[in-house]
Amino acid sequence: MDVSTINLPLAVLLPFVGAAVVAWAAHFHRVAAAWLAGITTLLALGVLYPALIAVFAGETLIQSWVWMPAIGLDFAFRLDGLGALFALMILVIGLLVILYARYYLSAKDSMGRFFAYMLTFMGSMLGVVLSENLLQLMVFWELTSLSSFMLISYWQHREDARQGARMALAITGGGGLALLAGILLLGQMVGSYNLSDVLLAGEQIRAHALYLPTLVLIAIGVFTKSAQFPFHFWLPNAMSAPTPVSAYLHSATMVKAGIFLLARFFPVLAGTPEWSWLIGTVGMITLLVGAFVALFQHDLKGLLAYSTISHLGLITLLFGLGTELAAVAALFHIINHATFKASLFMVAGIIDHETGTRDMRRINGLLKYMPHTAVLAMIAAAAMAGVPLLNGFLSKEMFFDQAVVASGESLWGQAIPVMATLAGVFSVAYSLRFIHDVFFNGEPVNLPKMPHEPPPFMRIPVDVLVVLCIAVGMLPMFTVAPLLAVAVQGTLQGVPPEYSLAIWHGFNEPLLMSFIALVGGIAVYAVRKPLFAWYESRVRGQQLRHLYDWKIDKLLQVARGVTRGFDRGSLQDMLFWVLGFTLLMGTAGFLSSAAPLLGERVLLPLDAVSLAVGATLILASLLSVVLHRERLIALVVLGAVGLVVSLAFVKFSAPDLALTQLSVEIVTIVLLMLALYFLPQYTPRTSAVWRKWRDGILAGLLGLGAAVLALAVMTRETATLADYFVTQSVPGGGGANVVNVILVDFRGFDTMGEIAVLALAGLGIFALLQQIKLYAPAEDSSGRAWALEANPFILQTFSRVLFPLMLMVAVFVFLRGHNLPGGGFIAGLIAALAIVLQNLANGIGWTAQRIRSDMHSWLAAGLLVAAGTGMVAMALGYPFLTSAHTHVHWPVVGDFELASAMFFDMGVFLVVVGATVMILVELGKLNRLDAPTPVLQGEV
Amino acid sequence: MNIVIAMPEIFLLSTICLILLLDVFLREDCRMITYLLTQVALLATALLAYGAMDGEKTTGLNGMYVRDDLAGVLKISILLLTFVVFVYARKYLKDRTIWVSEFFLLGLFAVLGMLVMVSANHLLVVYLGLELLALSMYALVAFNRDDGRSSEAAMKYFVLGAIASGLLLYGISILYGLSGKLEFAEVLTYVSSQNVLENIPLLFALVFIVAGIAFKFGAVPFHMWVPDVYQGAPTAVTMFLGSVPKVAALAMLLRVLAESMGAAQPGWAQLLLVFGLLSVFLGNLIAIAQFNLKRMLAYSTIAHMGFILLGALTGTTEGYSAALFYTITYAMMAAGGFAILILLGREGFEAETLDDLKGLNERNPWYAFIMMVFLFSMAGIPPTVGFYAKLSIIQAVMQAGYLWPAVFMVVMSVIGAYYYLRAIKMIYFDKPEQTAPIQAELDFNILISVNGVLMVLLGLFPSALMGVCSAAMVASRL
Repeated sequence: MDVSTINLPLAVLLPFVGAAVVAWAAHFHRVAAAWLAGITTLLALGVLYPALIAVFAGETLIQSWVWMPAIGLDFAFRLDGLGALFALMILVIGLLVILYARYYLSAKDSMGRFFAYMLTFMGSMLGVVLSENLLQLMVFWELTSLSSFMLISYWQHREDARQGARMALAITGGGGLALLAGILLLGQMVGSYNLSDVLLAGEQIRAHALYLPTLVLIAIGVFTKSAQFPFHFWLPNAMSAPTPVSAYLHSATMVKAGIFLLARFFPVLAGTPEWSWLIGTVGMITLLVGAFVALFQHDLKGLLAYSTISHLGLITLLFGLGTELAAVAALFHIINHATFKASLFMVAGIIDHETGTRDMRRINGLLKYMPHTAVLAMIAAAAMAGVPLLNGFLSKEMFFDQAVVASGESLWGQAIPVMATLAGVFSVAYSLRFIHDVFFNGEPVNLPKMPHEPPPFMRIPVDVLVVLCIAVGMLPMFTVAPLLAVAVQGTLQGVPPEYSLAIWHGFNEPLLMSFIALVGGIAVYAVRKPLFAWYESRVRGQQLRHLYDWKIDKLLQVARGVTRGFDRGSLQDMLFWVLGFTLLMGTAGFLSSAAPLLGERVLLPLDAVSLAVGATLILASLLSVVLHRERLIALVVLGAVGLVVSLAFVKFSAPDLALTQLSVEIVTIVLLMLALYFLPQYTPRTSAVWRKWRDGILAGLLGLGAAVLALAVMTRETATLADYFVTQSVPGGGGANVVNVILVDFRGFDTMGEIAVLALAGLGIFALLQQIKLYAPAEDSSGRAWALEANPFILQTFSRVLFPLMLMVAVFVFLRGHNLPGGGFIAGLIAALAIVLQNLANGIGWTAQRIRSDMHSWLAAGLLVAAGTGMVAMALGYPFLTSAHTHVHWPVVGDFELASAMFFDMGVFLVVVGATVMILVELGKLNRLDAPTPVLQGEV
Repeated sequence: MNIVIAMPEIFLLSTICLILLLDVFLREDCRMITYLLTQVALLATALLAYGAMDGEKTTGLNGMYVRDDLAGVLKISILLLTFVVFVYARKYLKDRTIWVSEFFLLGLFAVLGMLVMVSANHLLVVYLGLELLALSMYALVAFNRDDGRSSEAAMKYFVLGAIASGLLLYGISILYGLSGKLEFAEVLTYVSSQNVLENIPLLFALVFIVAGIAFKFGAVPFHMWVPDVYQGAPTAVTMFLGSVPKVAALAMLLRVLAESMGAAQPGWAQLLLVFGLLSVFLGNLIAIAQFNLKRMLAYSTIAHMGFILLGALTGTTEGYSAALFYTITYAMMAAGGFAILILLGREGFEAETLDDLKGLNERNPWYAFIMMVFLFSMAGIPPTVGFYAKLSIIQAVMQAGYLWPAVFMVVMSVIGAYYYLRAIKMIYFDKPEQTAPIQAELDFNILISVNGVLMVLLGLFPSALMGVCSAAMVASRL
């Protein structure tokens, strides 16, 4: 493959690969890491070179591959003039910083880690400026936040480094997500995430209803990254990073990424009042605040940090002005700022390195200890101040010029040149402070090290940058002009405006402003002592960083508060929320619907009996709630509820159900009684009163809701399944009792499963109870002893008479089941009750002698019979459980219908008896009145 | 009857019964055999499920069961994830002398339940699968019987789960009462013929069904069980519970809401919107205040589930595929995250507070790196897969016209990033409080490494998995 078709992604990828290699190589040789990092950067430059040639010839390169079509993600790269400018800055200054860092890092610091992070960051930055796809740009954007986090926290043992890194990551990473939202909106408007499409859609975007939110979101991303007010406070805190990192991140790259984005979107978003107000105002505030605060920093790097903020504000303001010439000035200043600020940071690093401190109150008069460095620093600082014949002067003139142009538009506009000049005054003042405090101003105070010139290779990068400052300042047409021209073209995406890079424009307003700034700056510096005192007493401490800390604290507080409200671990609370919300949703849906509550079905007439039954049901239910603490009484009332329900079944002509309900009710009550025996007599009171009211109200509302719902459903005509079964019962199942036919025939498979479950449940309970030893309380809660006479005589006698009768009833109910109310299930329950009654009345021991209580064989037999019935059908070639029936004429009984389903029913019967008896008797056995009397030691 | 379409489930069930029987006769020191058989069963079932993917949508068993590519993708995800989780769990169980086969058998039953949910074409079959899953889970949560917290968690889970199942069943029965149908296609025909917002019983049915589903997801306000259960359950169980069943929950949502009640989308979308936004909000906010790592992950799960719900509410193919992508990748990162917790614990010591992460980098840089990848992925930071998962959801939500919810999701992600970063800070910058060596067997190490690397690889090349997800949706006509 031709390299020139993939050189953009290759250039982005190279640093990442280099990072891995460097980290690996550092294990063998410390310095090899630095060399490899340098070589990687050179390689990336080399790879990019042919593309740069093409761009300088006026082309825009786009190289793309389909990557994730589902969410519109192409792997796409783009190189135009703007990208070229930034790519060059990233690589060239990167190279210088690498050379510098090689000598800056001490023997204790891990070179491998440093250069690996450095290259990762470089790759990420290249990715940002070379991405064609906006989402891909976003990915690299976040990568720069991450890798800068690693770089800033490089000295992990230092608390301030970790703090600063975390703050930088929180602010820039968070802003990145806002940017992501903005980009998503942008993509939504344009229908594509490709820059080429977005850049052409400026008109459409500016006219779109979502323009403002998009602008604000993107602006937040830009402001956080480029340390604009009010997000600027992370930058000074990030100064705890090693100085090469500051030189790289805070002059040419990281903070310029936001500016890059402003330039990138300039043709798309700029030109509206919203843009000018938002970007311009923020830029202006940042410019002033940064310049003002910078003067009062005693830390060398702190001064540079605030001056960086100020210059970034200047660039932002220029873009905010929105004119094409202002954009040109902004781009020019980007280049100039990168050169002089990188060299100043490096000088600060050298001073820190050679003196051991960065406190400007201690480092004075360094001129005689390091004259070469001092000269470099003075030139660079002069460039920063905007002294003529240096590069900073040129772009500052352009800025002043644009400020004057903008002033004509409104009253507010008049303020722009004034404030610009004011910022210029402070800018000169702090530059002067940098020069005068450090290199003159008497003798150094109590330095940890004896200062001297740094190693020559450490100075070379500064030399190079300062020479650039001078060259651009004196001969702009022969140095920076072509680069600026392509950058302007790439930024504006159109014909660049007329501009002049001449050093001398004659006597005009900008020159006057520069002059005022210079003189004013010197004046301000002259009165610095009282100013410092005033600043110390009034301003310091009122910083936005505290706001950030306060916000983080506040967030934690809110989170804890919410947690206390929602996460208390109480099951009752959980239930309250779950049920309450369901109720809320139901009510909301109900109220929002215009449909009538009741359907059109005619209601049955109300008769006295139903009314009485209904009233009893409600009363009994209420009683069971009210009396639930007295468990025995509650149980009795619960039994009454069950009985009333079975009466209701009778009323609606469902004798089968009534019978079943009745027998199930009795079995359940017996079961509960057996369990109750081991439990306390009364339920303790544990809930607070308000809780009871809350739960009571919720329960009432839920009950009401359920009632309304039942009303709504039951008053509507719905298709019923019953007809099918009623008509098919006799011809299909050979029985007139539809319920029973459904159980044993139509839904035979279900029943089969159910009895298997029942048998398993019986076995399970049996197994569980085997190892349990429970001792019944000897007395009740008021201290009365339980009667030992467990089996009343009358009950004994009657139960013995009843036993054969109940079995007869069971057989009767079973036999007639197929056609009349009854069946195996009910019969099974009745038979089981007969046996349980003997146990209750006569005692377990007595009964066990007469009736085998081991019911395992019953369960097995039942299941076998049921399954066997089904198997026979299969053996005869029908599906499992197919039923057959015939009529048999018995001598005494008369005509008798014999269905194969009856055998199946037999199985049901056996299982029900087996399981019920097993469960109840085993539970009963737990009740050992013959609790072992304590055995005295040594007695056995 | 066409019983073949349930082949994976039938195979799995038979295997479970076999393992169960075999296990009774195995000696105590031969538990490894049960474990190996379990793993083989999972892989073999996955193969069967893969073989059944033919691009067609076939229903069978009297219309109660369906086999389509969506089911295939979901089943394979469930089975493979379970496989991975079991490998991680083995270390936990062995370290703590609770190396018993019940864990794996109950797990297999849960998986069977999930497979049934995935392939259901009938509301009752969904319910059947759901209950099998839920009951196995209740037992698993209480697995460590002697631990009071474990039992309490199981109790809460059970009571709330029973209520939620009741709600779901209530909804289903109202729906059945109205339409007389339970099969998805027939229910859809009925729902399509109705004006959902004007039909009060149908509206109620919808509310109850959505509530049941939201509970399964653990979405606010049905999330109450999640933190307690995550914290109370043994970590191995939390890992299982926190990863695999999420896939099944999504399956339930897709089948029940999208497939059988697709015509009622305007109705349920509103509910899911509320649940989703609340989950994203509360989940992220409360997670900040958690210092117990398991609880923190629980709340983060809630936030993640909010994302999935928001993706699914769009009712578009993009939304559904994004939700599926999110769910599968989330399950992977959750399993991996908990696996690291397992690594940090040992006999008599459960790693579960943030402090236990301190200095992991010094104790073992590779594990620290993997944990960082998992946390980054959960926070949604590129280039990990979590970023694409979030992005594709937000994208789908925006395309469906929910602009402000999308912006809200982005903002909440910022807040969410805070607590993940705090954990990373502890891993890298703090001094270790524990000094015990961290070690694991080869299979564990290989899997956790693959798991971690996959998070990055999928982040760089997400289109393969994304393609599978959207193809499955298209094949299932969603």
